[in-house]
Amino acid sequence: MASAQSQEDQVLEEETSFVRILTLNRPRQLNALSAQMISRLLELFQRYETDSNVKLLILKGKGRAFCAGGDVAAVVRGINEGDWISGAKFFSKEFILNYLMATYTKPQVSILNGIVMGGGAGVSIHGRFRVATENSVFAMPETALGLFPDIGASYFLSRLPGFFGEYVGLTGARLDGAEMRACGLATHFVPSSRLALLEEALYKVNSSDPAVISAVIDKFSLEPYLKDHSAYHWMDVIDKCFSRRTVEEILSALESESTNRADAWISDAIQSLKKASPTSLKISLRSIREGRLQGVGQCLIREYRMVCHVMMGEVSKDFFEGCRAILLDKDKNPKWKPSKLELVNDNMVDQYFSKINDDRWEDIKLPARSNLPATAIAKL
Amino acid sequence: MDRAIHRTIIIKNHLLQPNSDQILTTNACLSYSPPELNEVYDFDLKEMRKLLDGHNLQEQDWLFNLMVQSKLFNPRKRGEKVYVAPDYNQTMEQQREMTMKRISYLLERGVFEGWLTAKGAEAELRKLALLEVTGIFDHSLAIKIGVHFFLWGGAIQFFGTQRHHEKWLRDTENYVVLGCFAMTELGHGSNVRGIETVTTYDANTGEFIINTPCESAQKYWIGGAANHATHTIVFSQLEINGKNQGVHAFICQIRDAAGNICPNIRIADCGHKIGLNGVDNGRIWFDNVRIPRENLLNSVADVSPDGQYLSSIKDPDQRFAAFMAPLTSGRVIIAGSSVYKAKIGLAIAIRYSLSRRAFSITPNGPEVLLLDYPSHQRRLLPLLAKSYAASCAANYLKMMYVNRTPQSNKTIHVVSSAFKAILTWHNMRTLQECREACGGQGLKTENRVGHLKGEFDVQLTFEGDNNVLMQQVSKALLAEYLAAQKRNRPLQGLGLEHMNKPCPVIPSQLTSSILRTTQFQMDAFCLRERDLLSRFVMKVSQHQAEGQSKDYALMLSYQLAEDLGRAFSDRAMLQTFIDTEATISSGSLKNVLGLLRSLYALTCLEEDAAFLRYGYLSTDNASAVRNEVQKLCSEIRPHALALVSSFGIPDAFLGPIAFDWIDANAWSSVQ
Repeated sequence: MASAQSQEDQVLEEETSFVRILTLNRPRQLNALSAQMISRLLELFQRYETDSNVKLLILKGKGRAFCAGGDVAAVVRGINEGDWISGAKFFSKEFILNYLMATYTKPQVSILNGIVMGGGAGVSIHGRFRVATENSVFAMPETALGLFPDIGASYFLSRLPGFFGEYVGLTGARLDGAEMRACGLATHFVPSSRLALLEEALYKVNSSDPAVISAVIDKFSLEPYLKDHSAYHWMDVIDKCFSRRTVEEILSALESESTNRADAWISDAIQSLKKASPTSLKISLRSIREGRLQGVGQCLIREYRMVCHVMMGEVSKDFFEGCRAILLDKDKNPKWKPSKLELVNDNMVDQYFSKINDDRWEDIKLPARSNLPATAIAKL
Repeated sequence: MDRAIHRTIIIKNHLLQPNSDQILTTNACLSYSPPELNEVYDFDLKEMRKLLDGHNLQEQDWLFNLMVQSKLFNPRKRGEKVYVAPDYNQTMEQQREMTMKRISYLLERGVFEGWLTAKGAEAELRKLALLEVTGIFDHSLAIKIGVHFFLWGGAIQFFGTQRHHEKWLRDTENYVVLGCFAMTELGHGSNVRGIETVTTYDANTGEFIINTPCESAQKYWIGGAANHATHTIVFSQLEINGKNQGVHAFICQIRDAAGNICPNIRIADCGHKIGLNGVDNGRIWFDNVRIPRENLLNSVADVSPDGQYLSSIKDPDQRFAAFMAPLTSGRVIIAGSSVYKAKIGLAIAIRYSLSRRAFSITPNGPEVLLLDYPSHQRRLLPLLAKSYAASCAANYLKMMYVNRTPQSNKTIHVVSSAFKAILTWHNMRTLQECREACGGQGLKTENRVGHLKGEFDVQLTFEGDNNVLMQQVSKALLAEYLAAQKRNRPLQGLGLEHMNKPCPVIPSQLTSSILRTTQFQMDAFCLRERDLLSRFVMKVSQHQAEGQSKDYALMLSYQLAEDLGRAFSDRAMLQTFIDTEATISSGSLKNVLGLLRSLYALTCLEEDAAFLRYGYLSTDNASAVRNEVQKLCSEIRPHALALVSSFGIPDAFLGPIAFDWIDANAWSSVQ
């Protein structure tokens, strides 16, 4: 149980003269972010920002995962027991942490030597440097859970080349380290055998200059080869299909492509889309499309509205059903409602993007970040 | 004295500072502070955008997405941000090829689906919304698409009959054929009835023969003709058995599928232009070109196989009017698109003025933000207010157009003429002011504002020269007035009902609160319109009484005609603003709209000399108006950022000076 572990233990903190190393330490839960971990990370990031002795942050995970996501199972339990407001508080803190990282004035190096999913992407991709390895497995699996890619994903997914972000966000496709590097989710690829040396070199850094840090990581990196069956080889097809205006059109474009070619990734993509929550798919697509035209702050504000609607469950309760089927009962057979894409109309989708009519609710208040250098605002 | 001490300290620091590195770090440079940090949003931007764009927002965002994510749209990194805009440094030929490539890309993604084959108001609104977005990226792209779908495609839809629809519409939608629209000639532009191209009929072969009889009859400015179009609509006099039946439209192939020019067709380029070089405007000569009889677009008139002219409309004047009526779509589109260009200019200039400072007014104090100068507010904010009014007007026009009925054609003709002229003039004026307000930065093509002037100047001329359109508006009002008088009935339609009521009275003392009421603003606008209309009627009849022809009398009364055209347009536009405002329930959004409406209305009162010339306002009134304009500017100032953010134009479509212009110009950004 999470409560058995103290807050400090869930995030280990080490320091050298100018570098702070934070290790996510819930290996049995694949380092899923608990409310406590988020609070702790927030506290540490805030403290380091004003501490002139801190010039660089390293974030990594203990065990075979970097971080498998937010601890949504706990959130769902909380909501089932009482009130969605407690869930809203969880997401609000998590998003504020994402925003802080996205606008952070000091470089953050995340070592992604293992699983990076959902909330795990949120605490790494917004940072300046993301180091992938041959062990990296990246995915945004939210549409299969009845949620949508949150944690600022509408910002960074939409900024991937072409319409790769729609592909990753809607299908929940798993990417390996080479694919992460190719699409820009990772800034570097370092074989895991060299990680210890890399970390050692980074400990000696005495600068916040991104160019200096990049040069250090460069010394250990290589350009990985994409696997033959990597979907990234078919960017033109992904572009053509995932640029369509609606989920229905994307699906039918993929289906007509699959009649011409027998690539595994296409049939996987079609399968994933058919298994995912129809409501999730539609709100996810809209979110990514809006996110492409917005700043990271606006993205998080919108996603917060959306996630609150998801938890309130006025349009669809798919999130609870998804968590039941995937995380709790593990029957992997969620019964979505509405059950088909065509049953989710525009008005239903619109509702997720509106303010919430509840006196206890307000838009997320992102902390004021004054005098940010431009480099702190957009990193992808 | 303070200044002297300040200077001394600086010089002393220079001399006594031993380490040159330290000078660099201790002297604080200017830093960019995003306007978002200091400005507050007092209303919901999304709600405001919905009000301004009116319809199909998601479709618009989708198209923005398509453009931002493709290399074809020339993304350029400046500092940390990416901007898209065509490379206007390419040659004319390269720009034209890029325009075509962009169209192919959009075609492949399904952007044009249903543009000609889907029916109904909803499909038309979608089409208009998407076209507007293409224009935000580049005018050439929008015009090239517009010519193909709205002029060529529209002519087939409206002038043609079922046989034409079946044959051409789907192929047009899929770009199997590339259409253009040959109406204007070297010798005739606005006066379409005077064109010199002649078509005769050969009953032996069942063909029409199109001919360019002289150099002034060459087709001129034909968008798409110089390089790409395979087919054209030809406007021509139709002579049957030696009798001229007036202007008719025909379909004629000008190139084969491989791009070779067809026999008996000669084509030349119009050459480099001050803007719009991504459109291949060309000139066409027809040397007795033969086309099948079926290629006459025969919705209004036809020629039988044996060569008899058949038309249900006997009067050639009426026939011509019926024929041209559907062409209003061009003016509706231009009016709508010009508002977006003014918005781009204002978004850039106002964002810049919220981050750029100049001169301090206290010793050693910080320099003043440009938009905190009342003079800068007076330059930009009335244009912002008028752009809000223009959005309401454009939406009204669009809705009227897509829901048109045979009864509403006349109103659409008059209102679209008025709004096209007023909105495009407003656009050019706004771009010029914004260019100057950006200082030297406004001169850089990448900052868009200055360049857009050249790109959009043509809007004042095509689809009807603005001055001619305004005269047509006045002429139409005159006709309405005379018709009502003759039948002894009250005026009805075109918003002229106010003339049946007693003449409004302007209070001699204008307080701030009176000035801000819709009642006062409308009264002032109506007073001007009704008085100018009766003066115009009087003037024209006076000239006629002196024995002048009606046309000559109209010509001589041009001063009143211009004043009246403006009075009508302003009043109609104010009405659309008031109607839009009424759809919003009370709250911060409505309050801001009220301020904007007042600023728009009062700026009109301040700027149009007619109010003083004819005494609608006393000189005391006029100074009260002027003071209020300044007050309103300062009240709108805090909302400036929110108001331009509500335009919904993505950052990538603005220029680097709208954002961190220091970063964009830093040495590290020099490639």
